Amino acid sequence: MTKKILSLVLALIMVTACIAGCTGDEAVKNENKVIIGSTTDLSGDFRFPGWGGSSAGASDQDVNGLTVGYSTMETNQGGAYVWNNTAVKSHTESEDADGNLVITIEINEGLKFSDGTDVKAVNYLAYILAFSSPVVKSAEHPGMAGQAMVGFEAFTGYQGDVDYAKVKADAKAAAKKAAQEAATAEKPFDEATWDAAWEAKYVEPAKEFSGVRLLGDYKFSLTISAAKGYYPYYFASTYGAVSPYPMNFIFGDGVEIKDDGKGAYLTGNWYEKDGDTYKKGAHVAAARYDVSTYAFSGPYVIKEWDQATKQCTLEINPNFAGNFEGQKPSIKTIVYTKIVQETQLDQFKTGQVDILSGITGGADTQAALAAVDESNGKFAEVHYQRAGYGKLQFECDFGPTMFQSVRQAVAYVLNTAEFASAFTGGYGTVIYGPYSPDFDMWKAVGDKISLIDYSFSVENAKKALVDGGWIYNSKGEAFVEGQSGVDAVRYKKLTAEEAAVLDGVNKNYTSVENTDGVEYKTVKVGEDYYMPLVINWFGTTNNDVTDMLAARLVGTDNVKALGMVVRSSVGDFDKLLGEIYRMPSYGYGGTPTYGMFNLATGWNSAIYDYAFNWSLDPAYFDYSSNKLYDEYDKAYPYYDAEGNHTKKSYADAVAASGDKLGMDYLSMAMVYDATTADEYNQWWQAYIERWNELMPDVPLYSNYYYDVYNAKIENFKTSPFWSPVDALLYCTIANVAE
Amino acid sequence: MGKYVLKRLGYVLVVFLILSILMYLVYAMIPYDRARAEVEQYKTVYKNEPEKFEAKYQELRKELGLDQNVFVRYLGWLGLAPINGTYQGILQGDFGYSYEYNRPVIEILGEPMRNTIFINIFATILALGITIPLGIFCARHRGGKRDTIIQTATIIGYSIPTFIMAIVFIWLLAILIPIFPVSGMKTAGSNFTGVRQLLDELYHMGLPLVVMTVSSLGGMTRYVRASMTEALSMDCIRTARAKGLREKVVVYSHAWRNALIPIITLVIGWFLGIFSGSIMIENIFGLNGMGQIYINSLNAKDFEVVLLLQMFYVIIGLLGNLVIDIAYGIADPRVRVNK
Repeated sequence: MTKKILSLVLALIMVTACIAGCTGDEAVKNENKVIIGSTTDLSGDFRFPGWGGSSAGASDQDVNGLTVGYSTMETNQGGAYVWNNTAVKSHTESEDADGNLVITIEINEGLKFSDGTDVKAVNYLAYILAFSSPVVKSAEHPGMAGQAMVGFEAFTGYQGDVDYAKVKADAKAAAKKAAQEAATAEKPFDEATWDAAWEAKYVEPAKEFSGVRLLGDYKFSLTISAAKGYYPYYFASTYGAVSPYPMNFIFGDGVEIKDDGKGAYLTGNWYEKDGDTYKKGAHVAAARYDVSTYAFSGPYVIKEWDQATKQCTLEINPNFAGNFEGQKPSIKTIVYTKIVQETQLDQFKTGQVDILSGITGGADTQAALAAVDESNGKFAEVHYQRAGYGKLQFECDFGPTMFQSVRQAVAYVLNTAEFASAFTGGYGTVIYGPYSPDFDMWKAVGDKISLIDYSFSVENAKKALVDGGWIYNSKGEAFVEGQSGVDAVRYKKLTAEEAAVLDGVNKNYTSVENTDGVEYKTVKVGEDYYMPLVINWFGTTNNDVTDMLAARLVGTDNVKALGMVVRSSVGDFDKLLGEIYRMPSYGYGGTPTYGMFNLATGWNSAIYDYAFNWSLDPAYFDYSSNKLYDEYDKAYPYYDAEGNHTKKSYADAVAASGDKLGMDYLSMAMVYDATTADEYNQWWQAYIERWNELMPDVPLYSNYYYDVYNAKIENFKTSPFWSPVDALLYCTIANVAE
Repeated sequence: MGKYVLKRLGYVLVVFLILSILMYLVYAMIPYDRARAEVEQYKTVYKNEPEKFEAKYQELRKELGLDQNVFVRYLGWLGLAPINGTYQGILQGDFGYSYEYNRPVIEILGEPMRNTIFINIFATILALGITIPLGIFCARHRGGKRDTIIQTATIIGYSIPTFIMAIVFIWLLAILIPIFPVSGMKTAGSNFTGVRQLLDELYHMGLPLVVMTVSSLGGMTRYVRASMTEALSMDCIRTARAKGLREKVVVYSHAWRNALIPIITLVIGWFLGIFSGSIMIENIFGLNGMGQIYINSLNAKDFEVVLLLQMFYVIIGLLGNLVIDIAYGIADPRVRVNK
C-alpha cells in the first residue's frame, strides 16, 4: 500500500510539473514583451537605488532608469549629460553677485505622472528639499541631496520649530558625557574648546533653502555655491539635473512646498517629532520600497515586484511623453529577472530570457557568438569596448614603484598585447591610458593625442631602468647581468629625499614571500642607501588575472633579464583595499609593503573628473589610489603657497610651467579652469598624455562586452554608456501577436 | 520527563551563549571595517572637504559601536549594553542590519526561508519516501541481483558531487529533453495566482527537486539497509518468524522498530535541515533561498546576517538534539527518560 501511495505521489508531482511547464511556456509566447536576464541581484531598492550612496546595485539602477523620467538633464548615447527638451521648456545659467551659478529652469506644461497627475516645479524640488533635511537621516539616508547649493548648511540644520539653544545644550551635554567617559588625565573635556568648535561650524538654521527657489508652477531655480567650490566647475550644469517625484511619495500627506521670496521651504508636518524621532522618517523609509502605491514618471511603471523570485515586471507608462529625444517605448512589458552566470546562455537559448548583457571573456564570448551563429537568425549580438580596463596599479610613494622608470619597465616587459589576447580570448584590446574610445573627448582629440607605445620590449624596459639610475649591485658597484643571489637584481642609489619618504620606509625596504631563500633589502653602503629592484605584488585569490600575471612576471626569463624580481602575495579583496588605503582595520600592518596590485576600473559616469586624485596635500590621501605626487606639480603647483590659484588658459599654463604641467595641475584645471568643451578637451588630452608618461597603472586589457539578444527585438543598439534598458526605449518587437 | 527537558533547555541556553561569544569574536577578528565601507559613499559628497569625510568616518564608527571594545559590542549585539547611547540588540527585538541589502536582517530572511522550506519539505519527503522502502527492500533481498544493482547505483550516486549531478540533470532535462526550465523560480512576467501559481512554482522547483532527491538517495538507502540488515539478523526476528508471524509483520513491526534508533538521528536531522538551504543547489538553479543569502552575506562581509543565521542554526541544532533524544525514548522504551 505504502509503495502505491509513494508511486502515486511521485507520478503526480512529475505530471503536474510537466503540465505546469507546458502551460507556462505557452503563456509567454509571441507577446510584446522582453525578458532581461541579469546576474546581479535585484533588491527591490528601485525608487532610490543605493539610498543616496554610491553602492547601488546595477539591476536596481536599471529598473530605476526605466521608471524615472522627465529629468531636466539625461545622459545620451555617448554618456554625456544633455538637456531634456521633452521636460525642459527653457533654462538659463547666470552668475549672481557672489559668483554663484544660478540655473533657472522652466518645465513644459502637460507632463504627467503615470497616475495622470501633472508634473510641476514642486515635483522637481521635492527630492532636493526632503533629502537635504534632517528628517531623512532618521531613515538612514545621508540627506546631502542639496549639498552643492547655496544655503544647504542652514537648511539641513533646520529641525522645525524647536529651541536651538536647547539643541546646542543637548549636543554639548552629550559631547561632555562621551568625553568624560573616554577622558584621560591628560585630555579632559574642555568646554571652551567645544564652544569654539561649535561656533566655528554652527550655521544659523533656516526654514528656507536659499539656493532652491520655487519661481512659479512650472519654474524653479537652483543656485550652485561658489564659496564651497562647486562653481566654477566644468560640470556645474549637471547640478541642474533633477528628476520629478510625486509629492505624496516624497512627503506623505500634509506637506507643501512654498517660497516667500527667501527660498523654497516645506510646510505642514514635515518636521513634526515624536520624542526625538521625526514622524515622517517612517514614511520616507516605507516609501523607499513601495513600488505599488505611488506614481512613476518614467517610460515604464512597476507592475509587480516579486521579492521571493527576484523578478520585476514593468509595463509601459501611457502618460510618458518621451526621453530627451522625445522617444517613447513601444514594448509593452519588460521583465527583469535574476539569472545564474554559469547557465545564463542555456537560459537564453531555451527562451527563458531574451537579452543577456555584458558577456565577456574568451570562453563565454565564444559560446555566446556560437549560439548566435547557430541560431539561423533567431539571435543577434551587439558589442562594444568596455569603458574601463583591468590593470596593474602602482603605489608611487615608496619602494621601486615610486620611480617612473620602474613603472615603465614593467609596462614594457609585460607583453600586454599577448596578455589581453590570452585573458579575453581575443575579445579585448590594449590601451595605454585612462580613456575609452567611446568618450566624446576621445572622439574630439583622440587623433591628436601622442602616447608612448608600451609594446613588449625588454630592451626598452632595460633602457628605462638604466636611464632611471638602476645601474648598481648590492655593493654599490656597477650592475652586471647574470649574477645570482641578491646581486641578480639591479639597485638604485637613493637621494636623501627618496630615502626619507614615509619616515624612512625605503631605508628598510625588504622583499616578501622569499620562498627561494633570497631576501632582498635596501642596503647601506657608506652613507648611501641602495634599493633593490624587487616589486612586492599583491593579487586577489580566485582571480584568473592574478594567476596569469604570476605566470608572466614571477621568475620569468624576461623579468630576470632586466635584473628585476617580482614577489607575489595573494589574499582577499579587503586585504588588498587595506594595503592600498593603509587601513589597520583592514589588516594593514602599519608599514607599506606592496608596490603593485592587480584590479580593474571603469567609467560609468558621464563626469570625467579626477581632481584631487593627484593632490600633494596629505588631506586628500583617501582620494589618491596611486599616491603619485608628480614632480612637475611640486615645481609648478596648481595652488600657490597661500592656497590661491590664478586661472590660466592651457597655452599660458604650459608657457608658465615650461611645458611641465603635472597630474594635479592638469586634473584640477580640466574641471575647475575649463569653461568650454574645447578647453576641457585640451586639458584632458594633456592629462592623458602625462598619465601615459608616468604610468601610475599598467592597463592590462580592455575587454569587449557582448550583448546577445533575441532577434525579435528590433533596433537594439547598446554602448558602454547606453545600457540595454536605455536601448529598449528605441526598440520594437517583430511580429507581435495582438 | 519535564524536569529533564527543562534541564536540557538550560544546557541549550548555556551552549548558545558560549557559542555566540565565540562566533562574535571570530567575526570581530576578521580585518574588516564596516564604518570605512559605509563612509565610501560620502567620498564624492565630501570631495572638497576631506576633514568632513574623516569626521563622518569617526561618526559612523561611533554609531556602529566600533569605538568600543569587542566585548561591549557583543553585549550591545545581545542588547545588554548601550551602543551609541541606546540599547538596541536581540533582546530588544533588533536582530541587526544588513548593509548588503540595506534592510534590517529579519526583513531579508523571510522570503528565502519560505523558499528553502518549500523545496526542502518536498525533497525530504520524496527522499525519505524512496530511501526507506528501498533500504528495507535491499535488506530483505541482501545479496540478490536487485540489491547488487541498487547498491552499485547508490554508491555511484553517493560519490557524484551535487554540482556535477545538477549540471548533468540540467543538460539532460532542460536542454536535451526540455521538460524543465534551466533555472529560476517562476515563469518570467507571469502573474499566476492560486493553484496556477503553485503549479508554476512546482514546475520551476522540479529540476532542483530531482537533483536534491537523487543526490540524497545513496546515503540514506545504504544507511537504512545496513540498519535493517542488522535488525533482521536479531534473535527476536528469528523468534518472530518461528512463531509463524507474517513476513510483513516481522519486517515492519519488529525489525523496523529495532532498526529505527540510528535512522531516527538521520531522519530528524533531515527535517531540521529544511531550514538550511543548499548553497550549491540554490546557486546553480538561481533559487532565492537561505544557502544563497548565506553565501552572499559571507562574500559581502555582511556579518550581522551571517551571525544571526548561524545562531539560528545553533538553536535549531541544539533543540534538534533534544528532540532526537526524546524521539529515541518514543521509539525504544529502553532508553526512555523517566526522571
